[in-house]
Amino acid sequence: MLIKNKTFKGGYRFLNIAGQPRNELVDAAIPKRVVIPFRQGFGNEVPCIVKPGDRLLAGQIIARDDDSVSSPIHSSVNGTVKELTSINYFNQVIGAAIIESDGTKDQLRLEGFSEDWGKLPAGKIEELIYLSGVSALDREGIPTRFRSSIISPEEVENVIVHGVSSEVFNISTGVILGGKNFFKFIEGIKILKRILPNARFQCALNRYDNKIIEESAKLLSGNGWIDIYPLEPKYPQGYDEVLIPTILGKKFPYGYSAANIGVVVLNIQAVIQAYEAVAEGRFLIERIIALCGEGFTDNYHIKARIGTQLRDIVAQKREGTIHPRFVLNSLLTGHQTHDMDLPLTRIFSQLICVPEGKHRKFLAFMGPGLKKDSYTRAFAAGVLGTSKSLDTNYHGEERACIFCNFCQAVCPVSIIPHIFYHHVKKEIIEETLLNLGIYSCIECKLCSYVCPSKIPLAKYIKKGQSMMQDKCFDRSLCVLPLFDMKGLEEYRGIK
Amino acid sequence: MLDQAYKISILKPFKPVIDAADAFFFGTDRITDSSPHILDNIDIKRYMSVVIVALLPAALASLYFFGIKALSLIAVSYIFGGTVEVVFSVVRKKEINEGFLVTGLIFPLLLPPSTPLWIAAVGIVFGVFFGKEVFGGTGKNLFNPALVGRLFITIAFPSVMTSSWIHPLTDAVTSATPLTVFKTSGEITPGLSLLFGGQPGSMGETFRIGIVLGGIFLMYTRVSSWRVPVMYLGSVFILSLAGNMFVPANIAPPLFQLLSGGLLYGAFFMATDPVTSPFTNAGKMIFGAGCGFFTVLIRGFSGFVEGVMFSIILMNALAPLIDHYVLQIKYKPMIKR
Repeated sequence: MLIKNKTFKGGYRFLNIAGQPRNELVDAAIPKRVVIPFRQGFGNEVPCIVKPGDRLLAGQIIARDDDSVSSPIHSSVNGTVKELTSINYFNQVIGAAIIESDGTKDQLRLEGFSEDWGKLPAGKIEELIYLSGVSALDREGIPTRFRSSIISPEEVENVIVHGVSSEVFNISTGVILGGKNFFKFIEGIKILKRILPNARFQCALNRYDNKIIEESAKLLSGNGWIDIYPLEPKYPQGYDEVLIPTILGKKFPYGYSAANIGVVVLNIQAVIQAYEAVAEGRFLIERIIALCGEGFTDNYHIKARIGTQLRDIVAQKREGTIHPRFVLNSLLTGHQTHDMDLPLTRIFSQLICVPEGKHRKFLAFMGPGLKKDSYTRAFAAGVLGTSKSLDTNYHGEERACIFCNFCQAVCPVSIIPHIFYHHVKKEIIEETLLNLGIYSCIECKLCSYVCPSKIPLAKYIKKGQSMMQDKCFDRSLCVLPLFDMKGLEEYRGIK
Repeated sequence: MLDQAYKISILKPFKPVIDAADAFFFGTDRITDSSPHILDNIDIKRYMSVVIVALLPAALASLYFFGIKALSLIAVSYIFGGTVEVVFSVVRKKEINEGFLVTGLIFPLLLPPSTPLWIAAVGIVFGVFFGKEVFGGTGKNLFNPALVGRLFITIAFPSVMTSSWIHPLTDAVTSATPLTVFKTSGEITPGLSLLFGGQPGSMGETFRIGIVLGGIFLMYTRVSSWRVPVMYLGSVFILSLAGNMFVPANIAPPLFQLLSGGLLYGAFFMATDPVTSPFTNAGKMIFGAGCGFFTVLIRGFSGFVEGVMFSIILMNALAPLIDHYVLQIKYKPMIKR
């Protein structure tokens, strides 16, 4: 069924941002060498089962642990293990294998896959999804009988599949669902329904993708267990914490995971990869990522092997004249990286490159602002709809809070960020902050973005949370008594 | 670059001034250090500029109607108000806040065109000093500084501030604004002439169509909230409609109430001051309604002809209390005892 007009209070739609990826997919060459971390996506780090010198085939499992919450890790190329080492992966030290490839493209297939997947028993489908590594995708993974998630498949009440495109830069649904992929997506949803039989499915799509909504409605609406929700693509609609209240009308246990309340949230790409694992026997060794932002000379999508180092992906694509900043997945919440040795993993979907805005501008605050994005409609770009450029400049000086209320107006969880700022700054830490919802913050950073006084509100809230913790006002106080939580023991283990 | 200037020892105490000038002209080269990697292009300077742009129709109209008198009042206000702001930021070694650019323009537009310049200077100095700086500067003040200044000179120099007005079209000196005319004779000035500025009053309040346009621009840019003006004007409308039915001698009919005195100017530019009005949405509505109630009350039943100033100041004082109760109702205790 098509359910329209659901949305949430607050949020902000990033519109007409220059540097969106074109609708074009390029296959990257097989890299000479790949770095495969033993922890990718959801789950614990898994122990390595190969040793230096071993010959490997693309798709071969190189690390696996069936006893902890995790999914197997594969070699993404044909070649030899050169070295087992550990790498710094976004401030975490993780074991990794360095594999030298022989440049061939062929890859192993999973055993027992079938294009006629309807005839496979549910247990076999779960095994295929687990062994392919697809079960590690997205924030909670896909529950199977192989401890790939913190909850079991029977405990899943809702599955939300989303492609809302609410970020500043988004991977294009035209590319992900282009050609045969749309069929794979529809079949993928049906496959997931087989292994998660108790779940209702919700498919959240960008309300402006009319064609996709129409076709999905046509192909899926015969099934009583799935609803389609066209949603306004305002940031941060794609967050689990916002999707669940918007679609299901349920409260979210902020700070815990959606799986704790029996919900699995998956991206479109994860669903397609689940289909490819079950019906085509493909291991999860490739990922489509979007190269976004004006730091790149050209913006398009690239399909690369997991473990490909960033330097191989962005080679020759950096504009020489400007100093760029590379950010992973999201300009508002993502990690910044200077390390071009970093490997692409299962968690990548966008690689963003924006110019550093280190230059000063004469009378920067005046002028019509034909290329400036703003929550206020005080710049011409917001009125005329011209394309907007982004850079990392502060665009102003830090000033006192004037209670303009922008932070409150955009907050997707209805808290008032500036109250926390004033309390934390004066170190007034008391129970009131708990009531005002300091732990409801989902760190979408929209408050810091819109603040005209350039106050890092999200940082103050985070600091306030840790100060509250020191005073024994723990996050669990406002979650555990109110929710019937699942998989709680595992949750602590994962953290 | 200007930011090197304060390294000269004589100029060191003036670091805030130099910093402010430097940032004003050349912008900033500071970049984000972690997420969010991008920040909105709006800053306080742009934010305040929007308010000034919104005030332009009213300000230009006052220049057109009152000429050099208006210009000199605005200049005096900026010079003296700016001096207080600068002295304070130098003494306290804090940055200069651009908010004073707005205060410096709002204040002279509140004055009768015949106000002597020295009284205007006293007003703005008192307003900025006691209305803002003693509370700790921008963002911490309880009352709207322009209103504090205006109120002070109204009470200190009542004869100057209330008895002599200039007719905008004829330049004739008159003792009566439309509100005074209603209070003394019950006569109602036609709405159209009020709307286009043909009636005596404070400098900025006469060209009402321009004020409305400026106010709508402010709301469109999201710099001011629609909640305050809509509730303010709405409550004045409803209360005067009801009041005019029962006590027509005291309470003027709604349309005249809306178009006379400083109501539109107050509702769009002063009650909406984010610092001195409540920050909760519900609080803003209550605040607007309260302003409307006191305006009708003071206009109708007190010795003063105009009540906008008093009602906003009064509600300014209540704003923190309103917020407190709104928050208490909206955010219930998490831990049950």
